[in-house]
Amino acid sequence: MVLKREIYKALKDVVGPENISESPVILGSYAQRGRPRFEAITLPKNTAEVQAIVRLCNRFRIQFKASSSGWGAYGDAGGPGVVKLDLRRMNRILEINEKNMYAVVEPYVIYAQLQAELMKRGLNCNITGAGSNCSALPLAAHQGIGHLSVSGSYGERNQLALEWVTPDGEIVRFGSLGSINQWWCGDGPGPSLRGVIRGNVMPLGGLGVYTRAAQKIYHWPGPSTFPVEGVSPHYHLSRIPPGFMIRYVHFPSSDKLVQAAYKVGEAEIGFIVMGFNPGMMSANIATNNNEDLAYLKQFTDSVQGPGFLIIMAGNSPSDTEYKMKALQKIMDEYDGRSLEAVEDPKNAGGFMWRFIRVTSSIREVARASGIFAGEVGGTDVFHLMHQYILRSSPLKQRLINEGRLLADGTDPFVQLVEHGHAGHAELLIRFNKLDPEAFKTPAEVGAFANKTAIEGHFGVPGHVWGDAAHDQYGPHTSNYHLWLRKIKKTYDPNAASESTNYITAKD
Amino acid sequence: MALEDYRVDMEMCCRCSICKFIPLEKLKEKRHSYVCPSIARYNFHTYAGGGRMGMGIAMLEKELEYDEKLLEVIYNCQMCGACDISCKYAMDIEVLEPINEIRIKCVEEGHTVKALDSVINSLRKQGTMVPGAKARRGDWARGLDVKDITGQKARIIYHAGCRVCYDQDMWKVAQATLRLLKKAGVDVGIAGESESCCGGRAYQMGYKEDFLNQAKKNMELFKKSGAEILVTGCADCYHAFKVLYNKFDLKGDLEVLHITEYLARLIKEGRLKPTKKVDIQVTYHDPCHLGRLGEPYTHWEGKPIPGHIRIFDPPKEFRRGTYGVYEPPRDILKSIPGLTLVEMDRIKEYAWCCGAGGGVKETNPGFAEWTAGVRIDEARSTGAEAIVTACPGCEQSFNDTLKESRSSLKIYDVVELLEKAI
Repeated sequence: MVLKREIYKALKDVVGPENISESPVILGSYAQRGRPRFEAITLPKNTAEVQAIVRLCNRFRIQFKASSSGWGAYGDAGGPGVVKLDLRRMNRILEINEKNMYAVVEPYVIYAQLQAELMKRGLNCNITGAGSNCSALPLAAHQGIGHLSVSGSYGERNQLALEWVTPDGEIVRFGSLGSINQWWCGDGPGPSLRGVIRGNVMPLGGLGVYTRAAQKIYHWPGPSTFPVEGVSPHYHLSRIPPGFMIRYVHFPSSDKLVQAAYKVGEAEIGFIVMGFNPGMMSANIATNNNEDLAYLKQFTDSVQGPGFLIIMAGNSPSDTEYKMKALQKIMDEYDGRSLEAVEDPKNAGGFMWRFIRVTSSIREVARASGIFAGEVGGTDVFHLMHQYILRSSPLKQRLINEGRLLADGTDPFVQLVEHGHAGHAELLIRFNKLDPEAFKTPAEVGAFANKTAIEGHFGVPGHVWGDAAHDQYGPHTSNYHLWLRKIKKTYDPNAASESTNYITAKD
Repeated sequence: MALEDYRVDMEMCCRCSICKFIPLEKLKEKRHSYVCPSIARYNFHTYAGGGRMGMGIAMLEKELEYDEKLLEVIYNCQMCGACDISCKYAMDIEVLEPINEIRIKCVEEGHTVKALDSVINSLRKQGTMVPGAKARRGDWARGLDVKDITGQKARIIYHAGCRVCYDQDMWKVAQATLRLLKKAGVDVGIAGESESCCGGRAYQMGYKEDFLNQAKKNMELFKKSGAEILVTGCADCYHAFKVLYNKFDLKGDLEVLHITEYLARLIKEGRLKPTKKVDIQVTYHDPCHLGRLGEPYTHWEGKPIPGHIRIFDPPKEFRRGTYGVYEPPRDILKSIPGLTLVEMDRIKEYAWCCGAGGGVKETNPGFAEWTAGVRIDEARSTGAEAIVTACPGCEQSFNDTLKESRSSLKIYDVVELLEKAI
């Protein structure tokens, strides 16, 4: 399908000729292999242009989909007749409010940029675990669960006021922005629409366009810039800043790990706490795949059982002392041992900065073979999430034994959120995407994860996208899918916002 | 190698977009966080390294017709390699190599652009990438009393490069180089009128056969001369002689050094002593072809080991820019009394390009100027009085842009400042 000339011209009039294209070479780069292509790509500069494009799509009864940094196939067109809004030109940090501790960004600001600007001011932000190459708009990067979520919460809870171009082209500013033109609150004064625009996961581009958003930011006890030295990929720290410490603590059993994690949460000593297994630690430090395998063997041989990574950041010498003592006490109580390779001063600084800046998620998931998948837990009680993922381990082990997955261990990756107030867990799989047998494994893992979640009452996981998945979970979860569909129908009467990965308004 | 040989590399691209930014560990502020001029200027994902990977696969699959837009995208890239380095911080895939192969495929299939054809015609007819060159190639050295390697033996060949030979404003750099080498007692000669283009830019424009012809011609001359070391002040030439000639097994035992490497060595050995004060605050621009692209080429032949992680037998060492020439020019500048070196935000392996490379200066001078302008602004933000670089291409690119802006910022080659100090 080619856009009618009057539609193309109308879109061109909005963004200017330089910022629209329907050339095959341009369209091709916005579609994963074998997926439908957009009819045109537009590069709006501001909210007014976004609104104008959305209104045109409604007028001409075509669909649109917006994305920011665009990692993830859910940014692609779900079918024919869709116009893309690539929000790349909307890339400003609009405000960093040090007094009230929030930052306002446009969609194409990435987390690395925001964090760097914040650190100069003694502040920091949560970063989605996918990496600091992702959009810093708190609604853009999936759930926004990340390495810093133990001390810096996550997307849904950090999100404050928001500007939203609805699927039919209205501009809605909600929270304090809508009532008093300020960014500091997502819920008022006045009505809140936070639940409407988020859902359990995210609309993933299926419910209009978020054009500006504020998020809560946090105190940063470290230096304004980290002392990074060396040439890529061998970056290291010249020194570890005072008050910072990193350990990988491993335990003789999964139960002891969980108990120790709770204690770490209660003591509030974690700046970062991630239940990485040796496979993720090895991928993080390794500068290539060969090194990765060598470190994987070394780390796997060195640990007594599952573990977690912890980074502590002291606010004062006495705070540092408290945190060190508390960790030691917890380790003693639950037989935790520190992995020497992580503690080693040669490695410690590099590990620390890669986790704080979240630069190595690509190494951890995509370097092996360019793709990863898996089972994503929800965000619920830490122990529940741990149990949910743990139940899938035998399946992963079977697939490894059958040679259909990379043998990178089956320990569940579980993390504390808000000092143990909640938890989040994932079971990631890596495989050769060019191997047809291996390519079937994500579907198998997904089906098993869904069966486990429903039968075990583990809630709705973060990988539930699209009609089929919502229809599967809804009847077991207060029929939420019917409400989600009503939201979609109400706000998107013309079904203009392409929502393959959200929910459609079908009856 | 051909584009098909990089199919798996291109398929491994996970579209994470790190190719658009400097390595994120090094990012200290939002401004100057982009690394790829092409995506920074044209915004569509297609122009980024990742977008070009998808384009390469689509070309292999014959999903794209050659049209004006396709060629426009392909040639609006300086081939600076910044995307390649940022990607390889995390990934084990080739990025710049397939981008180069896309261009080679275009040329082989007869889809070229006029501006580059004109440059290549000049190369074929006159042995230079400077179309319509009027001056004689060896004129710059007139009166310098230097050996001619076509008739005399010298241990070292100094290769001036097209940009110096055919631009009288650049002669001063080559002349200063020879004066310094002679002062240090170096047994140096030049090829004068017999010097010919290295062919490096032809390769990066996609004209592989023309590059190979030049390389063979040059190596014949160098071998015949009996010289042991080739020194050049041009980063493009350095990259061609050191990396590309080696890649195609043409370099033999010839040692290739950039002039900054050689001068830094002479200073270290005490054969050159910078003693005169040069009171100036400068910032150093790393030329792409000397820095990230200048690391030595390591031959590798092997095959992938089947499995779920991409490894090879024998293990493949990816070129990640780690061993480029970064310190010698800085060592020289630091040895000059009175000179203060202040660094820009984007340096070494993640330096922003000067804008001139990959044929962009010829196909789209406006884009080249825009790119240089971004770098000049970055240099200005350091408070430096001058940009110092180590490549005539970069110097010309900055000078051309500065002419338009009435800026007081000066542009120097490292060699010029060193000569002032000696």
